[in-house]
Parts: sequence; structure tokens; C-alpha cells
Amino acid sequence: MNDRTSVATTLLLARGLVKRLASGERELTVLDGVDLEIQTGETVAILGPSGSGKSTLLGLLAGLDRPSAGDVVIDGVSLAGLDEDGLALLRRRLVGFVFQSFQLLANLTARENVLLPLELTGVRDAERRTDELLGAVGLSERAHHYPAQLSGGEQQRVALARAFAPRPRLLFADEPTGNLDGATGERVLDLMSELQRQHGTALVVVTHDLEVAGRADRRIHLRDGRVVSIELGRSPLHASESRAIVPKGATSESATSESTL
Amino acid sequence: MSLRTLFALVLRESRGARARLGFLVACLAIGVAAVTAVAALVDGIRASLSADARGLLAADVAIESRRPLPAELFESLARQTGVSTARVTELSAMASAGDAARLVELKAPEALYPFYGEFVTLPAGLRPGALAEDEVIASPELLAGLGVDVGDSLALGGHEYRVVARLEAEPDRVDFALTLGPRLFLSPAGLERAQLVQFGSRVQHRVLVDLPGEPDPRALEGFVGALREAVPDGRSLTFKTAADPTPGLTRTLRRIEDFLGLVALLSLLLGGAGVAQIVRLWMESRTPAVAVLRAIGMRPREVALVYFVNLIALAVAGCVLGATVGACVPKAAAYLMPELVPQGLDFPWAAVVRGMILGLATAAGFALAPLTAVWRVPPARVLRAEATPLPTPTSVRWISLIALFAVVLGAAATQNASLRVASAFTVGVFVLAGLLAGGARLCALLAGRLPRGRFGPTLRHGLAALARPNSGTSGAAVALGAGVLVVVAMGLIATKLRSEFLADIPPDAPSVFLVDVQFSQSEDVRRLLTEHGARGIDRTAVVMARLSAVGGVPVSTMLADARGRARWVLTREQRLTFAEELPPSNRLADALAPEGPDAGMDAGTDSLWRLAGVAEVSLESGFAEELGVGVGDRISFDVQGVPLELVVSTLRDVDWATFRINFFVVVEPGALEGAPGWELVAARVEAGDEDALQNDLARAHPNVSVLRLRPLLEKVSAIVERVVLAVQALGGAVAFTGVAILAVAAFATAARRAREAALLKALGVTSGGVARLLAVEHALVGFLAGALGGAGAWVLAYGFLGFVLDLPGLPALWVVPAAAIAGTGLALVAGAAATAKARRVPPLVSLRG
Repeated sequence: MNDRTSVATTLLLARGLVKRLASGERELTVLDGVDLEIQTGETVAILGPSGSGKSTLLGLLAGLDRPSAGDVVIDGVSLAGLDEDGLALLRRRLVGFVFQSFQLLANLTARENVLLPLELTGVRDAERRTDELLGAVGLSERAHHYPAQLSGGEQQRVALARAFAPRPRLLFADEPTGNLDGATGERVLDLMSELQRQHGTALVVVTHDLEVAGRADRRIHLRDGRVVSIELGRSPLHASESRAIVPKGATSESATSESTL
Repeated sequence: MSLRTLFALVLRESRGARARLGFLVACLAIGVAAVTAVAALVDGIRASLSADARGLLAADVAIESRRPLPAELFESLARQTGVSTARVTELSAMASAGDAARLVELKAPEALYPFYGEFVTLPAGLRPGALAEDEVIASPELLAGLGVDVGDSLALGGHEYRVVARLEAEPDRVDFALTLGPRLFLSPAGLERAQLVQFGSRVQHRVLVDLPGEPDPRALEGFVGALREAVPDGRSLTFKTAADPTPGLTRTLRRIEDFLGLVALLSLLLGGAGVAQIVRLWMESRTPAVAVLRAIGMRPREVALVYFVNLIALAVAGCVLGATVGACVPKAAAYLMPELVPQGLDFPWAAVVRGMILGLATAAGFALAPLTAVWRVPPARVLRAEATPLPTPTSVRWISLIALFAVVLGAAATQNASLRVASAFTVGVFVLAGLLAGGARLCALLAGRLPRGRFGPTLRHGLAALARPNSGTSGAAVALGAGVLVVVAMGLIATKLRSEFLADIPPDAPSVFLVDVQFSQSEDVRRLLTEHGARGIDRTAVVMARLSAVGGVPVSTMLADARGRARWVLTREQRLTFAEELPPSNRLADALAPEGPDAGMDAGTDSLWRLAGVAEVSLESGFAEELGVGVGDRISFDVQGVPLELVVSTLRDVDWATFRINFFVVVEPGALEGAPGWELVAARVEAGDEDALQNDLARAHPNVSVLRLRPLLEKVSAIVERVVLAVQALGGAVAFTGVAILAVAAFATAARRAREAALLKALGVTSGGVARLLAVEHALVGFLAGALGGAGAWVLAYGFLGFVLDLPGLPALWVVPAAAIAGTGLALVAGAAATAKARRVPPLVSLRG
């Protein structure tokens, strides 16, 4: 997905991530000891059935949520040592998001949605950069429309522009094509790849979509809150090119079965 | 986040704020209008008083006493260069013409009166000091009352006087003071001719002083201070300066401002509760947006600041509207009540600023707590709607609570001069809100415990909604309950006040009082009374005296530290009487153990006098408390030059409501023997006989003043009616705010209602069924709020009337069920209006989530 010509350095390091949630009177372990490393400019797909802990892992990696145990280090900064304000500032500086349900602010026009993170970081040429990004996602003509006046694909393109506006080093995408039809989803993915390449951003994408996962450098399979296998290589549609790694503690059956997802 | 970014975000967030703006304006405008109106009215009256302060006094300084002013005073004044003086003598007397007689307020000033202000007569140009000794200037009411005109004659003290002019304006008489009768001016020589001033008569002596140039308040104070020191007994004289020409009125205005100011503030605070509801609703609806903002890196305080500034911008609209309406109230009041509110008042800028600041502070204070919801929104909500809410930091929670308390206390302190009253008000508001919230919570808990299976589905659903956690029931019940509480409590208090003051004279109480009856006239006055069918004739000797020492400490020493009422108590002319036994309508509160012939008697006996060989005095217990004396202490009087030392042997509680003659000071018979005095006579005369009695008395004993209780009560009633009207107008404002808040509370749950309505319809409930389910829920909340508010109002009114106003008695209990029914009705109407849209939501919505 990226050309990986630059020297890869570790951008994100997660160790022993555990997340427990209260479910009625019981406690549910949603993630159970996940370790992960993400390099600069790398694309990582997180796959798994519903309830496997994909979105929870994404939330923890992005500093949206706090683990019950373990730690995440982004760009050398341990998230465990940060309070809510510190996490917010770190996200503002390093992280971008794309969500399945777009999560655009309904009161703001497309242009204002893109402008917002730039205003927060105090970028000088925010307006110019916004207009360039809207042009790049093909929405210059729709810049002054509100989200409700845009189609799903257009909204997701606005969300992409917003995510890339502050030039984040890490982009987290949660089912970015989940609410889009096939053709629109394809176009959004192409755009995302292009922007990622231009900005040299590392991408962590949670998806059910094999087409999305196929574009990743690595595919991490989760089941019941654990990593059951990691696939290296680019195209899951060409299984022979991919190589499955069974992490410590996972069974070979589960690794095989997950790797064929 | 830069300021520019903040304002850009605020501006963007304000889109689609029309609904919020409407509610905010409704909630805030009424309270701000009430606060502004009260301040504007009081400021207006005060400004009109100070604008012509010298005119209101007719001088720079006035020195008054109930006794002839000491010669040393005039000597001291005469020694000062450039100082002019004019003596003024005032007293009440009867004037008559033909068969008609009226109690008049006589005023006899010297030639230089008035130094300032306009004295206007028709025909113009006459001055009272320059009148011949048989000429008078009469007010239009007196001319009408006696049926005479300019050029006709009237009798005063048995002498004929010719009315040479009609009085159009008198500078130093404030119209809204309660006066005993119409004005009649004559010259000092004319007053002497009437021979009305006799030893012991109730005469007001005054000297008006004109100082050179334009003395400022400091110079006036200096002048007065020097004069007090220079004149023996100077501390017992009353000094008024142009800096505060009407101290009594100033005090009254202050009290009105303090009381009505707090009532108006209640309306504003209820508005604040409405603001809190609006913000809560707003934050609920913006939760997804807050999650996104937090996810893309905005800190919670930055997000909260965006919403806070937005809210303040909207609140400005409500405050401007409210302050504008409030500023117009004095104009309307001047038109409707010209005798109370002066015309041509300036625009009340100070009141408008006060209203705006209090309105904005209230909006800010009440908004902070619901704004803390921003801290609870987890950024992870962008991934999972059910993400666990984060805890609000303790510091944020405390800051929002302290800010709210500070705003209420600050507002109360602004509205009331006494920090003690402001603190008590603030604590009271929080306690009441806590009790209402507790009551609502308890009711919700009970509703949850009820075996709902026994009820039909409609009532079951309503009860379930009431018991549901975070249903917003307690917030709505507190807001509406507080509105009901304030309105009902003020209604109960106003009703009681009105019934107390507007009540007719009790059947056995006297209806006329005769003042200044000389001992020599006593028998003939009694005969006249009997001839006119008077019953219950009660004659009491009165001797005027002045306190000279309390507990051995001279009053002149005590005055150095005494201010306000304490000074008045020490310096006023005391009316002393003597009696053998405890008067009716009196009860002994404390007494010395009996000595002498009565020794060995039970200490609980009603005997007024306890000691042998010592002159004793019995004091009314409140008066004794003000003097700081108890039984066994000694107090001394100066009885028109003769010293008299007395031992306090008993204290009495007096029932003043009987209208009988009662005295603060009752002296043991014998102690006042030979002292010059007069008789106060009270009697019950039928209304139809009062005119004839008054006329006969005026002819036979022109020095005797006849005070008729009925017209006096009518005057008091008119004033009380106006106060009640003002309180009820404010009560109405409070009620309106309460209803607006209720509608807000109902709207607050409209979105959830819409989803539920869609689901219910999908499950087969008809539109009518959905409407009934919602109506039951609203009715239950309204009933709960009404009942809690009504019960709270009953308790508050009982406490306030009994313990603060000393008007014991249970308020009507029916107000509690009536308030519950009214609350139900209001909630039904507001709820139906608020959920009209939600009820129309199609069932398909439930499938789409």
C-alpha cells in the first residue's frame, strides 16, 4: 500500500492490552493480552468476527479508551501516563480517524468539518489546505453543503479529508466502507490509499471487507479478544502470496481457519 | 484553542439554535424583567427624591422635636454667618365649617419658608408666613370636605379664619406618606390666635436652616455634627439634611427593594433552573458531536467552553428582552399609579445593567453543572454508542457546584442589603430544591416498588416511566414544583396579609380615638360621646416624657453608639400612662417576685406592681428588649423637666391586634401625680354617627383631634392592596417561568419519546393509546410536582407568617390538593404540546433505529 522506501521505525507499540467491560453483573474480557507494533507508513488490517474485540482494540490503540491492563506507546509517549487532556492533545497532534458512520458534525458544512482539526492545531494555511484536500477528494463543488445534503460516499470522502487534514502520522479507520455500496467503497479506498501514500501515514483499519484487508501490509486476525494469526503480504485474494504467522499461545487450527477469512 | 477558533466554533454551533433560543428567552426574560422592574421602580422613586432633595426638605437642614426647640439651638444658629432659619410648627386639629368638621394637619411656618422647592397657591403668589392672623391656605381635599371655597370662612380652635387661597403644591410633603388629614396653612400669629398649642399637646416643632452656597453631603454632616455637640440635649433632636431628606421613606424603599428584589430573584432563579434543563437537553442531543470533537483532539474544557459561550450568547437575547420589558414597567406604573410613582423618570440604566448581569450570571451559574456532561462523553463513543461514560473529574463537579452557589449568593446579596438575609435566602433556596428533589426521588422510588401488575397497561406504563432511572422526572418535578411552591406560597402570604389589613374593625374594638383631651374637658367629652351612642368608652391619661437613663447609663452616652431604630427608641417622645391593674389584652411575660403586702403571693399572679416603697414601671416586652432591660433594672424619664426614676417590675406581652389603647410604658399610679398630660379616649361609635360626633366635638372642643379608624384602615388597605398587587404580579411572572420550564422539561425527552412512540406503534399500540400513555406519565409528574410544591408552600407560608410576620394561624390546607390538580393540568397541557411531534412519528422509525 505504501512504497516503504523510507526506513521503517516503530510508531506504535502495544503490550499486553487487556480490556474488561461490565456486562450486567458480570465482567466480560473483550481483549485479552494483545501485543502489537506498527511501523511508520505501514498499513495494518484488523479482522475478526463480530464481538472479537476489533473496535475495542482500535479505541485503545488510538487513545480513545483506556485498557484495563497493558500500555500503548505512540511516538515514544506512553498513553498510560496521560490524562484525558493529554490524550486529546496527542490525538490532535498525531492521530486521524475515519469511521463507518462518517461521524461528521451535522452543524458544520463539509468545508468546516475539514477545517476544524486544522483550526485546533493552529495551522497557518488552514483554509488553503482544506480547499486542496476537498479538491483531492473531488468535493470542491460540495464544500458548502451540510452532511445531511451529501450522499454516504460524499460524507465518507469529507471524513477522509478531515482525517488527513492535520497530516496525522497514524490514521485509524473503523469499517470505512461498511456503509457504502461496492463501487463507492472502492473509490473511497483508492482515495484513502492515495492520501496515505502522499502523507506517509500509518493506517490501522478495522474491517470485515476482504477487499479492504487485501490492501494491507499485515492482517491481524482476532477471535475472542486474542490475536489468533497475523498474515503478511498484500493480497488476501491471492492466498499463496501471503504467509501466516501463529502467535504464541494460538492453535494452528485457529490460525489456519482465521487466515482463510 | 485560539480565540478565533473558539468564536468560529461558537458561531457554527449556534446554527439550528432557534428552539433553544425560544426557550432561553422564555426562561430568562421573565426573571430579568422582574429584577429590572423592581430595581427600576425603586431607583426611579429614589432618584426623583434626591433630584430635588433640598425641595423635599425645603431647606438644607431641618431640626425637629416633639418638644419646643431649645433656645441654645437658635443661639448657636444665630452665631453662624450666612445662615438663615425659619421655624415651622405642625399639629393636628379639627377644622369645621357649618355642620362639617375634619381633622386637619396644621402647619404654621415663618416668613422665609420655604427656602427651596415650590410653594404654589391659587391665586398665585401667597406665602404662608406672610398671611394675616385670620387667614389660611387650605388644600383642595379640605375645601371639598368642608364644602367651602376660597373666600369662605372656617373655624379653628373656636376662631373664624378666611380661606385666602387653595394649596396647589407644598414642597416638603411626600404624597405617599400616610397622613392623618388634609393640610391647612396659617401664619405663626394665626396659630397663636387659635390657642391650640397647650401644655402637653402633640406638636411637631421644626426649624429649617438655609446654609450659604451649595453645601455637599459632607459639609451638611459636619454642620449637623457641630450643632449636636453645641446644643445641650442636642443628641435627642432629630436632624435631617438635604443629603437624605426623607430618611423614613428611604428606609421604606430599602425594605421594599429588599423584599420585592428577592421575590423577583426567585423568578430569575426558576428561569435558571429552566436554563439548566435546556442545557441538559442540548448536551444530550449533542453527545455524538461531543464524542467526535473529543476524538479529533479537543479537550473537554475546550468543548465545554464552546457550548458555554454559545449559551451566553443566546442568554444575552433573553436578558435584553427582559431588561427592556422591565425598564418599561416604571413608565406603566407611573401611568397607572401616579400617586405612588413619579412621572418623567429617566431611562433606568442602572436597573437594566443589574438585570442583565444577574440574568447572565444566573444563566452561567445554572449552565455549568449540565455542561459537565462533556467530561462524561467518552471519545470511544465514536466507535461504540454504548461506550462506558467517563467519570466527571471531582474538581469540575465541585467548581460547577460552588459556582452555582456563588451565583445565587451573589445575586441575593445584590438584591438584598443584608448579607445575613442573602445567606439565609441562598441556603433556603438550596434546601428547598434539595427537599423537592428528594421528594421527587422518593416518589420515583415508591413508584418503582409498586406492584404495577395490578394496574392497567396505561397506568403501568406511566408509573414505569416515573420510576425509570435517569428519566428526568426529578429535574422536571423540581422545576415545576419550585414554580408551584413560589406561586402558592406568595398567594397564601398575600391572602393572609390582605385579610389582616383589610379586615373591618373587630366588633368590640373602638372606632374613634380622641387625642389631646385636656383633663378639664374630660367629662364634657364623655357626655358628647354618650349622646352620640358611643359604647365601650375607654379613657387613659397620657403624660409625655423622654428617656433620660437606662440602667444608670445616661441616654446621651448611649446615643453615641446608637443608630437607626435604637436611636429612635432612645430619643422618641414616650407616652406614659398609669394603671392599677394589668390592662385587658395584656399578659405578664416576666415579673419580679412580690414584696411588701403582696409578699408570699404566687409569682404567677397578674398583679402589675410588685415592690413596696419604690416607684415601678411595667414595659412591653419587645420595647424592653430594644432597650436591653429586664425586670429589676432601673430606667429614668425626664417628665417635662422633672426627673423620674423607676424600677422595671413587670414585662407585658400586648395583643396589638385588638385596636385597644395600649402602651409600651405603664407607670405605677402616684408616680406621675401632678404631671401635665392629656387624655386619650377610645370609643365605639356606629359609622353613621361618626360625622355628627366629629362636628360637635370640633365646635365644643376644637383642640381635640378625632382619629377615625375606618378611613385610616381604608388608607392602609389601599397601600396593602398595591403591595399585594405587586407581589401577585411577580408571582404571575414566577408561574409563567414555571410553565415554560415544564415545557422545556417535556421537550427534553421528546426525542426519546419519539423513538418509544414508534416502537409502541410497531408493537400495535394505536396513536390514541400512545397519547394516553404519555399523558399518564406527564400527569403523574405534574401531580407529583404540584403536590410537593403545594405542600412546600403551605409549610413555608405557615413558617413565614407565624414566625417572621407574627401572624399565627394555619393557611388553608385545600391549597395542597388544588396545587396538585393544577400541576397535573399544566403538565398535561405542556406535555401534550411538547410531544405532539413525537406522537406523529411513524412506526418504521423503530426499524431504522
